[in-house]
Amino acid sequence: MDNSILWLELVVGIITSLTLLGIFIWGAKGGQFDDSKKMMDGLLFDSPEDLQDAYNKEQKVKELKEKKAKSNKKDKS
Amino acid sequence: MSIVKCTHCHLEFDESLMIKEEQDPSLNFCCNGCQGVYHLLKDDGLDSFYDKVGKNTLDKPIAIGQDSSNFDMDSFRSRYIKPTQDGFSQIDLIIEGIHCAACIWLNEKVLDQTDGVVEASINFTNNKAKIVWDEDTIKLSQIIDKIRSIGYNAYPYDRTESEIKATKNKKDYFLRMSIAIFASMNIMMIGVAKYTGFFTGMDQEVLRMVHMAEFIFSTPVLFYSGWIFFRGAFYGLKNKIVNMDLLVSAGATLTYIYSLYVLFGGSGDSYFDSVAMIITFVLVGKYLEVIGKKGAMDTIDTIRSTLPIEATRITNGGKEIIPIDKVCVDDILEVKNGEKASVDGVIVSGIGEFDESSISGESLPVKKDKNSKIYSGTINVGQVIRYKATKDYANSTLNSIVELLEDSLNSKPKIEQTTNELSKYFSITILTIAILTFFGWYSYNGSFENALIIAISVIVIACPCALALATPIATLVGISELAKKGLLFKEAKYIETFASVDTVVLDKTGTITNGKLKVISSDDETLDKNEIDLLYSLVDSSTHPVSVAVKKHLEQNYYSLKHITLENIEQIPAVGLSANYKTHKLFGGKDDTQSQYTIYNFKIDDKTIATFELEDGIKEGAHETIEYLKNQNIDVILCSGDNENVVQKVSKELGIEHIKSQMDPLSKADFITELKNKNKTVVMVGDGVNDALALSRADISIAMGNGADVALAVSDVVILNDDIRGLKTSMKISKRTYKFIKQNLGISLVYNALTIPIAIAGYVIPLVAALSMSLSSLLVVGNSVRIKGKN
Repeated sequence: MDNSILWLELVVGIITSLTLLGIFIWGAKGGQFDDSKKMMDGLLFDSPEDLQDAYNKEQKVKELKEKKAKSNKKDKS
Repeated sequence: MSIVKCTHCHLEFDESLMIKEEQDPSLNFCCNGCQGVYHLLKDDGLDSFYDKVGKNTLDKPIAIGQDSSNFDMDSFRSRYIKPTQDGFSQIDLIIEGIHCAACIWLNEKVLDQTDGVVEASINFTNNKAKIVWDEDTIKLSQIIDKIRSIGYNAYPYDRTESEIKATKNKKDYFLRMSIAIFASMNIMMIGVAKYTGFFTGMDQEVLRMVHMAEFIFSTPVLFYSGWIFFRGAFYGLKNKIVNMDLLVSAGATLTYIYSLYVLFGGSGDSYFDSVAMIITFVLVGKYLEVIGKKGAMDTIDTIRSTLPIEATRITNGGKEIIPIDKVCVDDILEVKNGEKASVDGVIVSGIGEFDESSISGESLPVKKDKNSKIYSGTINVGQVIRYKATKDYANSTLNSIVELLEDSLNSKPKIEQTTNELSKYFSITILTIAILTFFGWYSYNGSFENALIIAISVIVIACPCALALATPIATLVGISELAKKGLLFKEAKYIETFASVDTVVLDKTGTITNGKLKVISSDDETLDKNEIDLLYSLVDSSTHPVSVAVKKHLEQNYYSLKHITLENIEQIPAVGLSANYKTHKLFGGKDDTQSQYTIYNFKIDDKTIATFELEDGIKEGAHETIEYLKNQNIDVILCSGDNENVVQKVSKELGIEHIKSQMDPLSKADFITELKNKNKTVVMVGDGVNDALALSRADISIAMGNGADVALAVSDVVILNDDIRGLKTSMKISKRTYKFIKQNLGISLVYNALTIPIAIAGYVIPLVAALSMSLSSLLVVGNSVRIKGKN
């Protein structure tokens, strides 16, 4: 077999696994694996409704933050 | 009679005791709390919670009597609430009653749906929650009420610097370990190709390719994951200590350098796989230690959070609520029924009954009248009392225990230095031999390259298989054997300590006795159905351990028990309960006589119609365990917070010669220290918060599985099935495992004694090194499997 193909396979394999490792590190640094029990059981509860709820929650937090920023500005002036 | 499940908590009860609903007869509730929470969730559209709970059972909803307005007090705010950058408020809470992932989901969902709550995240592992909210929209007390309305409770806690550090440390170790495991798994796969190539023949360029891949994966393992070993070795050398970290880092680095030489120009075989394995195996062990320590810290936080946060102080003008850290010595404080004493003190008025189980382990409440001492953290289950503070918050009993426990967590790693003794001498010897070999060969043939390869091959062949595998493999087999028998050893090193134990200190209540009262004789067979129902209704209105035991006795012996509404139910401190039924006066409790047994009389109109004798029975297997310990020439000491009569009775029954009675948590701990000062190797077996401090001081601490969380957290061994015979089994298996560890060390030392001289002589070719390393490992593994034999 031509060794150059093996070299190519090796490079692709290493890049793929290092990319996966990078994604894992990104997740770990963001705190996704801080709570091991919640992470494992949380997988069971993923559903379209939960996604919708997560979106609604994000909107609610955004609104609250905007409202707070406005009132903080008012207080300062 | 049929058994049905409660629709909310899924606990099983007799159908006749359940609350039914007319609209939907398929619903069954065991109590009003469960019924309330079920409807609340349904109304809020959160009934999918029950799908998520699945077959799990829940705790009954926690009924909270006190109101939550104290969460809005200024003193509370200044201590626990912190502002966020966005101008919101933030608090750290511990949620009580969390049972499964569905409980987390429910709490987060309910809080997310609440107006004004910006963030609610609950950690399932330690039940700690971070809540961020907008004070312009909602008050903290309303958030707490919301949590309570669905059957949970919340306590504030102070996030300390040490906790922030421990969390950061855990995350750091997790990342390092994950990367090491990921890289090692890849290297192992590559290794299959490499070692197969040894026997089937492999092209040199392909071999170089394999080495290159191993090099790429092992580099982050050595320099990122293994960084903590370099750091440990550096600090060790700075303090003139040769530690295990130095052996690991030196072995791994030299192997790495040698492998680099092979990869970039030299001939032979690389050992990048060994580099990754050494680091990964040792790192996994270290990570387990870090999470164990963090878990113990979380548990201590939970105890601290249950301490009262305020006290009711009596002033000239009336009463005032003050934070507990503002309580001064000589202040007069008031404790109502159900409240906890905030600091230590002496009663000045009233007769109370205190549940001191958190301090003494004693399951029965203790009567306290004028001049009686009361301790912080104990619960008044009787009438209102007033007492004079004799200590401030910081010096009070429960707070002192928590602080001493925290100190013990920080001091424990010191023990490791002694267990590393053998490795220390081994590493010095190997490093010295390698250096001498290098200079010997360099002066002999003048070739630097040749001398370096031979010197490194000495280290490679000696490290890590020889010692690194001998102990872990044997202990792994030993620990898994112990685990199969319900004995959880938190760390392998305790097996070694167990084998040399000469003193065992046993707690009484909950450890060698059942810790629960049981009716041992009664004359209730003469009672008619109505009288039995009256007695059942009377005992059901109290949570006193005696009432609970009588209730259980009735439930076990009579069918279709019915609740009868009683009036004027009144608790008579340290005596019993009285109530009225129609024109009759009922009484259940003891006569005012002292007895080792507890006597419960049931009277109607002052006439005793039934008498029950109760006792805290000795656990099954206690006799044979004590007998075994005595046969092993181990000194057995019974150490209890109970009075001397009770302790003596139990010790006589079990044949224990040495006893210590009326021991509070601090004196128990001092007693353990005293024994250790006499050079005794001490095992302490306990189960309660009162034993936690003594457990933390013993050489090996064993907690019973049903014990308090803190006892489990600070203990080294947990007897999961609560069977005292676990002590005997632990000792037997530990001794056997230790015997095999010694054999393994012998095998590995003989292996080194044979192979190192060959390596020094320069005769070790890579194939021989690989084979001999595997062979020594196989010998050690094969020998360790024999531990499984007959136990």
